[in-house]
Amino acid sequence: MSTLQRIMYVEDEPDIQAVAKLALEMVGGFTVKICSSGEEALREAGAFAPDMILLDVMMPGMDGPSTLMALRELPALAELPVAFMTAKVQPAEVAYYKSLGARDVIPKPFDPMTLASQVRAIWEA
Amino acid sequence: MSNEKTMAVAVAEQLARLRDDYLARLPAELTGLEALASGLSGSEIDRASLDELYQRLHKLAGSGGTFGLAALSVGACSLEQRVKGWLAESLDAVGAQARQTFARDVAALGNTVTEAHATASAILPANAASAPGQCVQVWLVEDDALLGQELVRQLESFNYVVRLFTRIGDAEAAAQTERPDILLMDVMFEQEGENATEVFVLRPNLQALSCPLLFITAQDDFQSRVRASQLGAEGYFLKPLEVPRLVNRMVQIFEKLRAPSQRVLIVDDDADLAEHYRLALLAAGMEAEILQQPAAIMEKIATFRPELVLMDMHMPDFSGPDLAGVIRQHDNWSSLPIVYLSAETDLDRQIEAMNRGADDFLTKPISDAQLVAAVRIRIERARHLDEQINRDSLTGLLKHASIKESAGIEVIRARRIGKPVTLAMLDIDHFKGVNDTYGHAVGDVVISSIAMLLRQRVRQSDIVGRYGGEEFVVVLPECGAEDARLLLDDIRQRFAAVRFSYAQKDFTCTLSAGLACSAQHPDSNGAALLVAADEALYAAKRGGRNQVRGGASDLKGAQP
Repeated sequence: MSTLQRIMYVEDEPDIQAVAKLALEMVGGFTVKICSSGEEALREAGAFAPDMILLDVMMPGMDGPSTLMALRELPALAELPVAFMTAKVQPAEVAYYKSLGARDVIPKPFDPMTLASQVRAIWEA
Repeated sequence: MSNEKTMAVAVAEQLARLRDDYLARLPAELTGLEALASGLSGSEIDRASLDELYQRLHKLAGSGGTFGLAALSVGACSLEQRVKGWLAESLDAVGAQARQTFARDVAALGNTVTEAHATASAILPANAASAPGQCVQVWLVEDDALLGQELVRQLESFNYVVRLFTRIGDAEAAAQTERPDILLMDVMFEQEGENATEVFVLRPNLQALSCPLLFITAQDDFQSRVRASQLGAEGYFLKPLEVPRLVNRMVQIFEKLRAPSQRVLIVDDDADLAEHYRLALLAAGMEAEILQQPAAIMEKIATFRPELVLMDMHMPDFSGPDLAGVIRQHDNWSSLPIVYLSAETDLDRQIEAMNRGADDFLTKPISDAQLVAAVRIRIERARHLDEQINRDSLTGLLKHASIKESAGIEVIRARRIGKPVTLAMLDIDHFKGVNDTYGHAVGDVVISSIAMLLRQRVRQSDIVGRYGGEEFVVVLPECGAEDARLLLDDIRQRFAAVRFSYAQKDFTCTLSAGLACSAQHPDSNGAALLVAADEALYAAKRGGRNQVRGGASDLKGAQP
């Protein structure tokens, strides 16, 4: 398996975008592409060719789950590892998100110092 | 290694900068939310505003959490849920009071930020537990993620805000900038190969939290127990965990911490001296007020509800014993402690004064420390006695007679101030089946967990009592039927989510509730309103149980 290098982070909140970029780039050493909506992610994913996508669950317009569905329609991204980011992590919800095809769920608020290792662990799982 | 360190510092600096930017922008965002919230009209016109509020509160909940503003995050999250609830139904049903409360709560979000801002630099925020009405923050350090998440779910149904750490190191890192109100720790950390009771002392950040500490463990060994005790742990719970018992202990700990301040009424004609006493008692964390007009003593007592009266012996128009006699004429206040404060040293006259309704005698001059100690111990005893007499021993809730009396008082008060009071009567569904199947000990656990849930969910000003075996009454002053229905329905859902266990088997219980609001029964007294609530409860039972009936929703379909 190749190594995890390129991460696309889809999140509508600019403040969290900034913290996540910091956490993934500076702490994790990843190459990060931030998208502010599901639509943007769909447009950019092909060109950026991420190794993994992190999706906020609740966004205006296309939410996380519908973005995931749409990504899966693109042949190049059909098998791409995806993790959801959400504030309300209960076992039933985790199970539901996994049933949609997500690898895992990262609870928010995340710790900027450990987000990168969390993401790496999901990738390696 | 040092490279990593430099990087960590750089990241911390960047984060601090982002946080400062965020804090700078926050006031404008809060003002915007306030404007939206106060512009609600209580009709479908609001839908666009509420949609926007929902999105923005959601963002605030997320970003607040990211920047360590836990109180803001929790507050925004709960408001977000409230808006979500409204959006799911007709907006015409959102009453004026609910909107008012909402706008007030939105405006109050700013307060959480000012505190966080001021304390962000060096000092950690004070325990939220000391501020009534706020959510209790629990940190759970448990390496078994599955068990941890299940425990989080269970504790959340008791209204705790829980943060799960699967490694001791993560909790320690978080402890640098935040603090919980209570720390729950597993003892054995398999992966890290550590015993938490051993390593706790080696983790200064955790120790510095100085919050209540509880251990949970699969292994009952004496050494760990002793170390836990040396660490000042307030509990040691064995797995499989019985969550209601764990919560019971947590409730006890917080009640001790958040006992309301003691209230003292000072009666002394020497204004300077009275003021001096007042300041001394205030400095000790008590509430103290001075009686200005002796003739108004009963009104003052009724509004301030002191727990002790500090009375001068000799005053120009009336003597202390005269006023004590007046107080004792009122049945409600026949056990209110009255303590004389006087230069009187003649033992016979002291005894005579005590015969006329006083409890004790303090001799002037008295040091502030003596005064505070004497007052404090007497109020503590009075409270303890009051609990023995008025509180149910299993649940700590008011007993039948006391809750009935409270309902009566609040209905009268509601009429006086022109605001509604709502009474709720709750009953556990098929409780006899629980007792028959699992035994009375398990039944008691079910009863005490509903009591804990009620106490967790209601406001400080609400009154909760155990009315009968498995029947409870909640008095909600200044609360309309619709708000009460939302609250009780939330409690109903949370209770249904609590999992009880007996002999390795899990089961759940449900409850039914009936409401009666004084606004819909303008001529009813407390007793009549309780009957109405009981009828609504009966309707809920007949309607299939596990539901809330009565209040506004019944107006349309009321029986002739």
